[in-house]
Amino acid sequence: MAKTERIEADEVEPTPGSAWLIGVAAWFVPGLGHGLLKKWPRALLMGGVVWLCFFIGLKMGGHMFDLNAPEGSSQALQVPPMIANLGTGALYIISWVLGYGFTDDPQQAARATYEYGNTFLLIAGLLNYLTMLDAFDIAAGRKS
Amino acid sequence: MRHFLVMMLFAAFASVVFGAMGKETTRERWLYGVKVFAEFMVIGLALSWILYFIP
Repeated sequence: MAKTERIEADEVEPTPGSAWLIGVAAWFVPGLGHGLLKKWPRALLMGGVVWLCFFIGLKMGGHMFDLNAPEGSSQALQVPPMIANLGTGALYIISWVLGYGFTDDPQQAARATYEYGNTFLLIAGLLNYLTMLDAFDIAAGRKS
Repeated sequence: MRHFLVMMLFAAFASVVFGAMGKETTRERWLYGVKVFAEFMVIGLALSWILYFIP
């Protein structure tokens, strides 16, 4: 049994460096990973969903999270949603640099779609993590 | 109605990604995507009715 496991372990091919690059590209620009792999329908579908989800979330008045905790809240509580938001890659970074989508004032919070917007922004990032893993697996030859 | 449409939109987005990466053939992907969409909707509606009766 142990011998069989050792043989199986030896047969696992190392992940090519290009797969890591594809993974980073897929994270940074939603859909780009599949685009580089010439998987156009998937790039359009999966990347398109992430872009749509992100902009609909912003349009609904949602806000993204960074390490600046609001008064009375712990900074540690900001980290999990920030990681989810960070999944949108360049979209998050550009918004952060421009300071757009991070305001959390009472007027905005009073909007009926505020919480929906937050959720859409979080889900956009999480879906892009899945998209990134899919592109990485295809680039590594683990799936077609 | 607006809440329901937003829930549908969310379910559609998630099921597209789940369906696209979940299975091997196009047919399987379609079926899986539709199944995930239906699950989101049914569970969402069930939860909303449960929460409706909780004061």
